Amino acid sequence: PVVVPGTGNNIVINHRQRGNPVLECIRNVGKEFGDILADYQVGRTTGVLFISLKYHRLHPEYIHQRIEQLGHSYNLRVLLLLCDIKEHQEPIRELTKTCLINNITVMVAWNPEEAGYYLSTYKQFEHKPPDMIKERVDKDYHSMLRTALTSISKVNKTDVETLRTSLGSFADIARATSDQLQNLPGFGQVKAKRLKDAFEKPFRTST
Amino acid sequence: MANLLRFHKIILEKIHDPSTSELLIIARGLGLRRIVCKLLQIYDSPQNLVLLVNASQEEESGIGEELGVLGCRNPGLRIVGFETGKKDRQDLYKRGGLLSVTSQIFTVDMLNGDIPTHLITGILVLHAEKVTPTSAEAFIVRLYREKNQTGFLKALSDQPEHITSGLSPLRTILKELQIRTVHIYPRFHVDVKASLDMKRPDVVELDQDMTEAMAEIHHAIVQCMTITLSELKRANSHLDLDELNVDNAYFRSFDMIVRRILHSEWHKVGPRTKQLVNDLATLRRLLNYLVTYDALAFHAYLETLIESNTTNELGNPRQNQSPWMLTDAANVIFQYAKRRCYTSSSTAKKQPTQRIEPTDDEEAWAVLDDLEGTNRTAASADRVDSAPKRPHWLPQRMDPVLEEQPKWSLLADVLQEIEEETMRLEPHQTPLSPGTNTVLIMTSSVRTCGLLREFLSSMDPKAPRGQQGRKMMENKLRLYLYWKSKLEKRTQDGRIPSATPTESKYRREDLEVSEALQRKDREKRERAMNRRRVRGGAPAVTSSRDAIESGQAVGINEVNIRQEAGEIAEFLSTQNGNVLQDPTANNEPLLLDFDASPEDYYGLLVPEETVIVRTYSDDTDDQMLQEIQPRFIVMYEPNLEFVRRIEVYRNSNPGLGVRVYFLMYKLSCEEGKYLTGLRREKESFERLIKERGSMLMPIFEEHRSGSGAVGDALIKTISTRIAGGRKDVTTEPSRVIVDIREFRSSLPSLLHASQLLIIPATLTIGDYILTPDICVERKSIPDLISSFNSGRLYTQCEMMSTHYKQPVLLIEFEEDKSFSLEAVADVKSYAKAGGKYATKKKPGAPSEGPTSVSATIQSKLVLLTLTFPRVRIIWSSSPYATADIFRDLKANNPEPDVEKAIVIGAEDDPDAGAGVNAAAAELLRTLPGITAKNVKHVMNKVGSVRQLCELSLPEVQEILGVEPGKACWEFIHLGERKQK
Repeated sequence: PVVVPGTGNNIVINHRQRGNPVLECIRNVGKEFGDILADYQVGRTTGVLFISLKYHRLHPEYIHQRIEQLGHSYNLRVLLLLCDIKEHQEPIRELTKTCLINNITVMVAWNPEEAGYYLSTYKQFEHKPPDMIKERVDKDYHSMLRTALTSISKVNKTDVETLRTSLGSFADIARATSDQLQNLPGFGQVKAKRLKDAFEKPFRTST
Repeated sequence: MANLLRFHKIILEKIHDPSTSELLIIARGLGLRRIVCKLLQIYDSPQNLVLLVNASQEEESGIGEELGVLGCRNPGLRIVGFETGKKDRQDLYKRGGLLSVTSQIFTVDMLNGDIPTHLITGILVLHAEKVTPTSAEAFIVRLYREKNQTGFLKALSDQPEHITSGLSPLRTILKELQIRTVHIYPRFHVDVKASLDMKRPDVVELDQDMTEAMAEIHHAIVQCMTITLSELKRANSHLDLDELNVDNAYFRSFDMIVRRILHSEWHKVGPRTKQLVNDLATLRRLLNYLVTYDALAFHAYLETLIESNTTNELGNPRQNQSPWMLTDAANVIFQYAKRRCYTSSSTAKKQPTQRIEPTDDEEAWAVLDDLEGTNRTAASADRVDSAPKRPHWLPQRMDPVLEEQPKWSLLADVLQEIEEETMRLEPHQTPLSPGTNTVLIMTSSVRTCGLLREFLSSMDPKAPRGQQGRKMMENKLRLYLYWKSKLEKRTQDGRIPSATPTESKYRREDLEVSEALQRKDREKRERAMNRRRVRGGAPAVTSSRDAIESGQAVGINEVNIRQEAGEIAEFLSTQNGNVLQDPTANNEPLLLDFDASPEDYYGLLVPEETVIVRTYSDDTDDQMLQEIQPRFIVMYEPNLEFVRRIEVYRNSNPGLGVRVYFLMYKLSCEEGKYLTGLRREKESFERLIKERGSMLMPIFEEHRSGSGAVGDALIKTISTRIAGGRKDVTTEPSRVIVDIREFRSSLPSLLHASQLLIIPATLTIGDYILTPDICVERKSIPDLISSFNSGRLYTQCEMMSTHYKQPVLLIEFEEDKSFSLEAVADVKSYAKAGGKYATKKKPGAPSEGPTSVSATIQSKLVLLTLTFPRVRIIWSSSPYATADIFRDLKANNPEPDVEKAIVIGAEDDPDAGAGVNAAAAELLRTLPGITAKNVKHVMNKVGSVRQLCELSLPEVQEILGVEPGKACWEFIHLGERKQK
């Protein structure tokens, strides 16, 4: 039965993929088989090719044929690589180069579950805005203070608490002298110095 | 400057020859600094260019100073740092002499040709133990030897314990430094022994028992460590964790051991294991603080720990608490720590057994009588029932215990003895006899140092043992109460869930309006807590540690702390102002800070009356000993290096009798630490000597400079593997533009090793530019996670996509770590995560909260690729693999242009190419109101974060705009202390 690809909310799967253990691991989204160029069509404009390195080792020409067939279709083209051998360095290097030339993004999974997770996530996120990975601004004071101060290396969340309770506001912390800092529980010379450096050293240094 | 001892001279004779290169490993405390300075003095001349690499800032200034004393003042050691401009650097290099350079700048300058590499006379590498195949020093040596075969290279190290990496650690270092000779000088070396055993200092060892409470806590902490360790072993049963035992856990390097064992899958281990490892570090710190901090500070630290462990960022109870906190032993720690400070009389009345030293309290009151004699009448007015002489600022239901560190009294005794001794010796001294009567007290941290200073200046010598520091402790208690009220404020604030700063402000106003109502509520809540506490708390005291259910224990602690804090806060609000005035104001400082004003000190006081308290530091201590020339030294905490320093000091000053008092807690971690430290150093030396005996000498390939190297590269490129070398050969070597900040990582070094030409530049976009089209942003796994969380990666990809045709994200795993992302294979977590997404797909339900927190790194990657379909990803299992891939990608592609790469993305920035202080910029970026877009603008307008904090609201708004400016200003000044 020929299904028109890309109509619904299902992942469209190429018939070649029948029997692939990854299919079992695609959860929480619908699946249907159809005639498509890619192996998995996970969105209107997103096509995924699948290759396991074990197979690639036996049939190194296969993936090149598939890429050639794919041509210029799809906006986002992904090669889902299942890394299931120990000597992965060489094949990954080679595939990376091929993909870069053919405008394909490589995603590496280490087991069928992870591969299935990638596929279903692609489908689920098809229309998702990128808020999740953008800078978030709406947070309460304490977590903002925590993020700000822990961005300085060696400062942990206990130290943030110590700083706040014993010094006060952010500005007060900025004003604290090195001696004051070293007198706080949990602060040594190094940590105090890191703090001072971050607060007082000028942003710009001349080259 | 002390004269050199015989073994110093022997070492110098062996290594000073400027035509040879060698590695010197010497035991700590034997005076490596002297040797370095002497060497530098030998080489000092305008005709020579000698570079000192890997010195920390303190070392740089220390060495510079000592060279000045030796007479190398013209111009002596100059320091090249980030502040030195490019022009000035070139100038300095040309004029020759002694220079100290950071590795990063040195590498960049050699690559840029700013430094005449072929003219370098020699390099001194400090901290040679840190050299690894991927370290910056190895890169420097490679670059150096490429163009300069004749110069010398002296590597020095005094940390044999750290030379442990790999099968043959010594050989690895020698290979990377391209050195064939190594000299090893442990303390047990014949020459060292011969020089140091001639005259021995007179050592008095004093063992002090810990107080009962301290011993209990000590025992309980060790128990917690054991529990945490076994927990860790259970969680990672497939790993070989035999090496982990409590003995090792005393050391900071224990973290390293754990990390090394878990290294291969560190990024895969669950949060639980990470938590356990962190817990171990916390516990180790606690052990240390137990013997160094005063009782109140220790208690306060514990409370902070509990506070930060039981609530998460949003003020809600945390999901996975540290397991040790739930144990009975932890309860013992908390209980005893509190009882060392004070007891609450409301419970004390019912449970008189709660006091550890009932007699102690009587004495306490006796002392208090004396101290508070003046305002006795005022104080007695508000206390009727018992003990009428309480200080007025003390809350009603609090009975201070204020246990003192037993070492304090011991120290007082020692000082007494020294005084008598000095009096006795007085008639025998002539003005010409060496040494001064200054007493030197050495401690391990600045904090202890300050504490002792305070103790000695406020000490009451007539009081009984254990009570002499009562006055100081009371001052501390007062500060503690103030601090506690702040802690309470946090818990109150934390309970108000506030989405935006404006809203939270609104809420606060709300609070003020209905204050009465709120108070009522709070009282109610308190009463409820009280009830709970009595119910749960009573058995906690009577049957102490064994009978309580562990889970409850912390809950009770938590409630206790909150409630107490609440009481104290309330009390303080009634006592307005009284407590807040600086309690230390009327203390007259009798002791002088040696660091701050040596001139004052020498000018004003005779040495007999001075006591100097200092912390152990590095080789600077040698100089300090020489300057002060003390006859009496008190080692307040054991320190292996300092013992040797004293030996060296004793032997380089013939005729000067030195007495050392060595204070140590019996059966404590201090003792264990000291002994294990001794053993470890000895073992590592033995291992190194053994390896030197059986080592295969590394053979170095000859590097030819100039055209020769390029020829080599060509031969390698036209290997038969690339179809018989049919590729056209260009004589220009391929080049990669590398951002200067990337020189902290090992990749540039490896790229250079694989025959690529590295061009350092300050890039605005990307880290590596391979071709005019390919721009690479490198992310290690922790980087990747953090920059996903901060949203930085999004901005970076956005920028790369706008300016380059082929933006690439390089995900780089570490060399010997396993090559895979977090264990998503865990079916349970997968199902859970998936389930959440499924529900999220329902239209009209934009629930952002829980999903965004629990989203895995994989789903974020998916979203990234969906958002930026042009961004390619390189998955690299190690920096070595990356170097291979880079070379591959560069084949047959045009070379990138440096000028263009620098300008791209920085069109509107006049300072493009200037260096940026990474830590400060990072801190700035996290502030509200500051985004990736305006961060540059801010950095141009304001000098540092500190300056930003000093600005007024309108000034900030002028820079950031009205709304963001307000948010930023309010964040900075929330919770401001009133200026006195």
